[in-house]
Amino acid sequence: MPSEEKLSYYLSKSKTLDNFKFNKKLSVAILSSFTINGLEETIRVKCAEKKIQCITYVSGYNQYTQDILKNDSDLYQSSPEITFLILDVRSIMGNLFYSPYSLSVEQRKDFIEQKANEIINLAKQFTKNSKSKLIISNFCIPTYSPYGIFENKTDYGLKEMINDLNQLLTKNFAKEFSIYIYDFNSFVTKYGENNVFDYRQYFYGDIKVSLNFIPYLADDFVGYISAILGLNKKCIVLDLDNTLWGGIVGEDGFEGIKLGDDPTGKAFVEFQLYLQALHQRGIILAINSKNNFDDAMKVIKEHPNMVLREENFASLKINWNDKVQNFRDIVDELNIGLDSMVFFDDDPVNREYVSVSIPDVFVVDLPPDPANYTQTLLSMNIFDVQKITEEDVNRGKMYLQQRKRSELKNEIGNFQEFLKQLNIRVKIKKADDFTIPRISQLTLKTNQFNLTTHRYQEEDIRNFSKTPNKIVGCAQVEDKFGDNGITGVYIVNKDSSNEWTIDTFLLSCRIIGRGVEEGILNHIIEKARKEGVKKIKAQYIPTKKNKPTENFLPSYGFKKVGDFWVYMVDEPIRKAIHLVVVE
Amino acid sequence: MSQKLYEIVSKVMNVPLVDINDNSSPESIENWDSFSLYILLDEIENTYGIKFTLEETLEIKNVGDFKKCLEHHGVSLN
Repeated sequence: MPSEEKLSYYLSKSKTLDNFKFNKKLSVAILSSFTINGLEETIRVKCAEKKIQCITYVSGYNQYTQDILKNDSDLYQSSPEITFLILDVRSIMGNLFYSPYSLSVEQRKDFIEQKANEIINLAKQFTKNSKSKLIISNFCIPTYSPYGIFENKTDYGLKEMINDLNQLLTKNFAKEFSIYIYDFNSFVTKYGENNVFDYRQYFYGDIKVSLNFIPYLADDFVGYISAILGLNKKCIVLDLDNTLWGGIVGEDGFEGIKLGDDPTGKAFVEFQLYLQALHQRGIILAINSKNNFDDAMKVIKEHPNMVLREENFASLKINWNDKVQNFRDIVDELNIGLDSMVFFDDDPVNREYVSVSIPDVFVVDLPPDPANYTQTLLSMNIFDVQKITEEDVNRGKMYLQQRKRSELKNEIGNFQEFLKQLNIRVKIKKADDFTIPRISQLTLKTNQFNLTTHRYQEEDIRNFSKTPNKIVGCAQVEDKFGDNGITGVYIVNKDSSNEWTIDTFLLSCRIIGRGVEEGILNHIIEKARKEGVKKIKAQYIPTKKNKPTENFLPSYGFKKVGDFWVYMVDEPIRKAIHLVVVE
Repeated sequence: MSQKLYEIVSKVMNVPLVDINDNSSPESIENWDSFSLYILLDEIENTYGIKFTLEETLEIKNVGDFKKCLEHHGVSLN
């Protein structure tokens, strides 16, 4: 089991949180059908560890229905941004939990359908009254059955009933943007029904998740919180020896390392397989290893049991340089914020060194036994995102192209010449069903090239795109090495027929430094000119991370007027000459 | 040997160790409520590797009662 603190630790720590103030604030509501003391405190502590100040509302014992149905309830007064609704199987089944077969098959089916509808209606009511995301737990399928071994020969038995209820909820909410199903059934499967459910605590205080397991549940919930806030990790930096394979290639040799055939070797293959799965959904992988480059590359390229190959890594720092320096080089190369990086290294000294030198990096406390590497990685909720988009799936390929680009840059030397040779094409696209998820995702997670850092959920973007006085657009950027996908977003407010304001203007870090921003701005200004607009206003709102955007507006010719940067449309446009913009 | 038990009580109830004795109870410890009692039970069970019965948990009124229960389960604190 992954290591976790006791509930008492979180309870006493939660009392000290008033002393900490963080910039990120979040309002969370917890509704449940049973006693779930300690969850709220643990969530607040775990959020504070991620530098989020979490303000919580906890509904009274089993008061969730009233709270949701009354449109001026304390729940709505607390204006939650994320709401957890935790229901349990005993409450929903009532007496039928022990005697489901007192009803006929048809009645059982009706009962489950009715229960599903009750929850669906509650959720509908909730989304009418609140803009909060809603996370509803599904139901734990009990290991017990009143019919024992005959259960599986019984039409629509207890387990099937609850499974059906879970399916109905999942299917119904699959297309809802603001509602997620929390797989509580998997949570119980992972830790075991006999552990998670303690009869004494149940009889004593209607506690249906035993106190020992509240921190684990809180951890899953905080996973949703980070995903919704866009705080997910994006890149894993890996050591090689004793991390991706067993042994030391420089000493044990190509044939001597453990990878695949023996039990220890299997542990490393398994670990690589899971890393590959993460890579396939958009997590970037990089290597930071002290090794002879040729020895290590031979394994990566030629070892028959190696899962991850050269093309899976966005950066390969295999040398004898300082680990921290290597780390900083990787960050520069990939243009990813330090706080979205994770470091895996089997050597505690290296871990300590990176952790102390670059505190923003998440350094994983790797267990001493490689057999547990995979479980450690699997139990981390840090990679979750609200939505996996096509860009995520193709990200690995894009970073590979990026590596090739920087190789070309090194060959050519002259930057302007390099840009010209890239043959950049910027395709301007409107916000539609295909692009809206990605547009929202970019506003949520782009930090560096972002004029205003306004964060917008999918619903917001969808609403903007329907508003006549707003332009929501995005840019897909291609070059000779391939497609970068949608990597630029702009939102313009048409304040009047004379004046527009740029509400949002951002570029994904992946394409910073290629003059794409000029192409997009050209496009906006030309559009303004066609519509007879005289003046375009923009703002640069400084944050800790958007320094790369600081000089963009003045360098383009915007003049500072009060709080805004202003561009008079009749002034000649500085044309981006190295790229083509198409609509 | 009572020391270890007192330490657990002090940690869970957020009370200085010196203020804990066998007579410590909801009257003298502000944080002692039905919920914190269960957290305390949990920690004591995990520390000593025993399980209290439901009945026992209901009869615990002060720290001294914990000792009696522990002794009943073969854990001697004196």
